Amino acid sequence: MLQGLRLQRLPSVQPGIALAMRALAIAIVVLAASIALLVAGEDPIALGAQLVSATFSSTFGMEDFGLLVIPLILTGLSVAVGQQIGIWNIGAEGQFLVGAFAATAVGLFVPGPAWLILPLIIAAGALGGVVWILVPTLARAFVGVNELITTLLLNFVAALLVYYVSTGPWRDRVGMSNSSTPRITVEMPEFWGLIHWGLPIAILMALAAAAILAFSRWGYEVRLSGSNPSAAAYAGIAVRRHIITVMLLSGLIAGVAGAFELAGTVHRLQGGISNNFGYLGIMVAVLARNSCVGVIFTGILMAFILNSGIILQTQGITTSAVLAMTGAILFLTAIGDELAHYRILRAGSTRA
Amino acid sequence: MDLLTGILATTFLAGGVLALAAMGEVLAERVGVVNLGAEGLMAMGAITGVATVAAVPSPALGFAAALVVGALFGMVFAFATVTIRANQVLCGLALTLIGTGLANTIGRSYSGTPSAAVFERVEVPLLSDIPILGPALFSQNVLLYLIYIVLPLGLHYLLFHTRHGLNMRAVGENPAAADAAGIPVGLIRFAYVTAGAALCGGAGAYLTLAFVPAWSDGMVAGRGWIAVSLVIFAGYRPVNAVLTALLFGLITSIGFVGQARNWPVAAPFLSMLPYLGTIALMIVPVLAWQKVRRLMAAPAALGEPFYRDVR
Repeated sequence: MLQGLRLQRLPSVQPGIALAMRALAIAIVVLAASIALLVAGEDPIALGAQLVSATFSSTFGMEDFGLLVIPLILTGLSVAVGQQIGIWNIGAEGQFLVGAFAATAVGLFVPGPAWLILPLIIAAGALGGVVWILVPTLARAFVGVNELITTLLLNFVAALLVYYVSTGPWRDRVGMSNSSTPRITVEMPEFWGLIHWGLPIAILMALAAAAILAFSRWGYEVRLSGSNPSAAAYAGIAVRRHIITVMLLSGLIAGVAGAFELAGTVHRLQGGISNNFGYLGIMVAVLARNSCVGVIFTGILMAFILNSGIILQTQGITTSAVLAMTGAILFLTAIGDELAHYRILRAGSTRA
Repeated sequence: MDLLTGILATTFLAGGVLALAAMGEVLAERVGVVNLGAEGLMAMGAITGVATVAAVPSPALGFAAALVVGALFGMVFAFATVTIRANQVLCGLALTLIGTGLANTIGRSYSGTPSAAVFERVEVPLLSDIPILGPALFSQNVLLYLIYIVLPLGLHYLLFHTRHGLNMRAVGENPAAADAAGIPVGLIRFAYVTAGAALCGGAGAYLTLAFVPAWSDGMVAGRGWIAVSLVIFAGYRPVNAVLTALLFGLITSIGFVGQARNWPVAAPFLSMLPYLGTIALMIVPVLAWQKVRRLMAAPAALGEPFYRDVR
């Protein structure tokens, strides 16, 4: 029976199968995690029920969950936008941190009415993200230096910078903590419960990015440059200029995510503020197959996974375990994406 | 004079981590596979080293265990990228997340306590009495001789002076031609991705058993990524990789000296030096000498999966 079948590799991924593979990848990892919990003497089904009820049956749970959705949609969007032109922005973590850092600078040191300061804070965050991706962008566009590594290495520099200011010159000298800055006085207005306006804005940003990429001339040129740079250059498209604008836009989005997190959720700069959002954003983008609309949904999914990890902390699960699980899902997804290139043919079939 | 000796000794000690991981990465990349999981492999190696010596106080055993764990993870990575031919960038990033996350999870029970056994310094008779250089070069742990002498020379010989090395490079440059010549492309890629991953695991154990003798959360701190960048800068050559790693050892040790001597620069800024240095090294040489690009070029088929049956 099996000998009558053979595999044919298609040049492009079959979207339906790729989607099914993602679901399968998540199912396998959740199953593996459940078995690990079972071995550790926990009851995975009871924990699962506890998760769902803790997240969805109380306003409090929904608020925590919703607050995680905002940065994950935005960091996912940041990575997905870069991928349109074939750029790996692994530095969303650093751009997020510097965005939060710049936002804090405005929040702490620029006096003025809230209606003026809040836009300034967000603009500062955007600028911070752009500044942080500037060197990798220029190096990639003009010297051809691999952006994946340069953006990633700057994450560590950003983390050290935030650690330095929040424990050093900007630390809260009045409050109890000496590992964070004082609370900034301006905050994002609330949208639903504790969830601030960052949520609808993030969704709008994702929809706008999708629309621009799908319908504008710029978007067309970017997508073409991404799928075939030499053909695009031959057609007279300024590939290098598009790489620069796309990378700066990617950094900008991650920086805005940092400003939202600071002004809407955490309100003070501290070391762990990025919470791996940048790295999880890679996962959000990959699960969405780099669709800017898709990141809204995969961002919500990732937020649920991350939120589960946070709720289960009392059961000995840490955000590190969530990171490992995320990695496992990513790994299986990569395998699934390759398998989604194949279709099964009967031997002697004429559909070659 | 003590200062100079101190700087040199720390340079060799700190460079060892990067040298070992970079040589592992050279092996994988020479046969055409980018392993971006070095960071995660090092994290797993580091915690394996600590956990092993906590059970049996033998640093050699801890190091060997880390090599084995590195190889096991490497085989999983090779299965995905070589056998299935999945995207190498994605699988590498995934491996980094898995390794880092898993190591931090396992490491919670070891956090903060020093490693139960470490590689001790070995004084080489006579040589260690040479002023300045002696204590820096000949009064170090035994792994350093492996890292700085045995491995780079052995790998250089293997890659550039043996038939097998020629085959390896052919697999990285033009797998279709290598395949046509009867070289087992898949097997060679699988084997050297695994071997390279083992060295990355070993580099992690070196970190916890010889360099910073304790486990702490996130202690690999980007060294895996720096190692990956060094390989590019070193033109995919093992001896160059070790020399470049020494340069980074020097940068790290300058940071240490600065902290110890209370330079008027905050410690976090000194800690930024290796990362900023790596970025500078990736950009400046290519800016300065366009010829470098061709001389130090990556293997032509780097990152590309090889399909024999599909055209």
